[in-house]
Amino acid sequence: MANKHANGGGGITRRSLLRGAGALTAAGWVAGFSGGWILRPRGAFAAAPIKFGVATDITGAIAPSGNSNWQVIQLAVKKINDAGGIGGRPIELYLEDTASDPKVAVGNVLKLIQQHKVDVVVGGITSAMREAIKNPIVRRGKTLYLYPQLYEGQECTEHLYCTGPTPAQQCDELIPYLMNTHGKKRFAMPSANYRWPQLLNKYARALIEKNGGEVVFEEYYPLDQLEYSATVAKIKSEGVDCVFNTIIPPGLQAFTKQLYESGFQKDGGAHTCVYFDENSVNYVPERELEGVYTCLDYFHTVDDPVGAQLQKEYAEMFPGTKYLFTAGSAATGAYRAVKFYEAAVKKTGGDLSREAVSAAIDDVAITDVPGGDSRMVPGTGHCALNMYVAQAKGGSYEILSSANMVPPQECG
Amino acid sequence: MDVAIKLIFDVLAFSSIMVLVVLGLAVIASMMGIFNLGHGEFVLLGAYTVYIFRELGLPEWAGMLAAPFLVAIAGLVIEIVFIRRLYASPVIAMLATFAIGLIIRELIRVLIGGQYYAIDEPVPGSVSLLGVDVSAWRAIIIFLTGVLMVACFIFLTRTSFGLQIRGALENPGLARASGVSTTRLYAFTFAFGAALAGLAGALMVPLFSLSADLGVRFLVQAFLSVMLGGVGTFEGPILGSAVIGAMVPGFQWLREIPLFGIMVGDLIQPIVAEVLVFIVALIIVKFRPDGFITKGRI
Repeated sequence: MANKHANGGGGITRRSLLRGAGALTAAGWVAGFSGGWILRPRGAFAAAPIKFGVATDITGAIAPSGNSNWQVIQLAVKKINDAGGIGGRPIELYLEDTASDPKVAVGNVLKLIQQHKVDVVVGGITSAMREAIKNPIVRRGKTLYLYPQLYEGQECTEHLYCTGPTPAQQCDELIPYLMNTHGKKRFAMPSANYRWPQLLNKYARALIEKNGGEVVFEEYYPLDQLEYSATVAKIKSEGVDCVFNTIIPPGLQAFTKQLYESGFQKDGGAHTCVYFDENSVNYVPERELEGVYTCLDYFHTVDDPVGAQLQKEYAEMFPGTKYLFTAGSAATGAYRAVKFYEAAVKKTGGDLSREAVSAAIDDVAITDVPGGDSRMVPGTGHCALNMYVAQAKGGSYEILSSANMVPPQECG
Repeated sequence: MDVAIKLIFDVLAFSSIMVLVVLGLAVIASMMGIFNLGHGEFVLLGAYTVYIFRELGLPEWAGMLAAPFLVAIAGLVIEIVFIRRLYASPVIAMLATFAIGLIIRELIRVLIGGQYYAIDEPVPGSVSLLGVDVSAWRAIIIFLTGVLMVACFIFLTRTSFGLQIRGALENPGLARASGVSTTRLYAFTFAFGAALAGLAGALMVPLFSLSADLGVRFLVQAFLSVMLGGVGTFEGPILGSAVIGAMVPGFQWLREIPLFGIMVGDLIQPIVAEVLVFIVALIIVKFRPDGFITKGRI
């Protein structure tokens, strides 16, 4: 029943949250006085629960990703609780909406820490959000923080652990693949003007130049720019053979359409965008998506019995949900975050203090996660991941190449 | 040569989109003296209509045909319920349109779950124009904009209903004394402006994508176009929007051209190019405060 909230609400306003309130209570939800939500474990447990805080974007522009993270975390926690909890202690979930707005988020995150005194916080999707909530959580709140999204790297705060891919993990396989297998040499980097594209491009450019390629241009556009005819014309006239695209919606749709209509892909050009996943077909028409290369830690098409089983359980728990369990929306990172925490608490023997869990999580390994096993790289706060280079084919992704336990190369 | 054709086509295409958006805004502003701050949301409603049609399993082109009529009905209701009471105080009316726009925008944000949705164009792919591949749908938009401009012009200048509208605009008191119902005319004009906005939204949504902020993106540029062209004329705002619409891709193209041996692109970043549109428009408004065309009201 909890899915009713997630489906029907469209996850967008407080009103829709309220509308789902009836269903939520029926499913074991208790509304906090502060406007947040608590999901208490079912069944009888002898020991006191572990308080697990989730701070994600249930409403606002990033809501589709935030809701998928939230649903995936519910699945992960349900599986742990059904199996008897962590060392006999169940997990109790506390949700606060960060509302895609860092100003709103800080106050709500403080509620998790000061009012509910949670043992750990998972959440944040954009880098702006992570920057806004990491201090309230880690410094002022003295709480462990797990960040699930693929991002630009260079986040080395103590007691903050990143469970999504870094630029090295996304580029190290993809770019040599494009250059060596497909002979791509002339790259263009059209980008949205903010931190993630800038740092990702910096890493990708070094890799391209090291492999004997050339970056023809690297340009940053306003996030809502809708007119790319000059950019696309330059791509054509300069003989670019690979577009390394880091434009994000709403600019993305106009760019992909203009690139497609110019016949770039038809003429053999490679278009790559490293956050594209199974969700992308919602906002980019299938024919424009066709043939796009991407590189992530999981795709539905990865030959992975664990992932397939999780997808099945996810579909049963949230039938018909439009928030998919994919890598680009940070949902796989969120699932890993729960599993890393579980493994760390098992290792401490039930000690929940931040220092103990943080020390334990530093080199912990997990199995039974989508995309394959993962392991924290000691002293870095990042994890080694299996990465898959994939190409869009008829609305799904064909896996072209994969690499196991790719190191994050951050904070080393 | 190829580049020149491509440049002209792209500039024309974006200008056409701007003209479509501005036409409705200008009709309402010129005829009724109200700047409709909810205009962007009428554009959004038009786009949303196409999305709804698609969700119902109907073809996109049917949604595009229906959009102007459905948005006109929405505009008519809004005029009768709210705007009609506020003609005496245009500033209050403007604020009311802003509030209505905000409500529509946030409502649609809830309905589409804050997502972005791609809408297919009824005519996909590209066509060959003088040996250059250009977007088929953009070509159709350029054509339809031309047809629409001519139709609007004929409607306003050659029909008796158009005459009544122009009469009510020049001298509402005399029009009423001559037996013309200005109340009815204003309601119709508002609905007509809304219909144009709805059509604009429906036609351009395949080029971009449906999101709640689709209309807002164009609103500021549309206002600038009306200011630039001059309020109270038919041709003025069209000229204004054509100029603004040409500048948006124009400055991006300018970056690719060497000037006095310097690549302009090295000096103007894309971010700056976007801002330059506004700077140039404001400078023009400074020297021609009444816009390009101040005489020859229709």
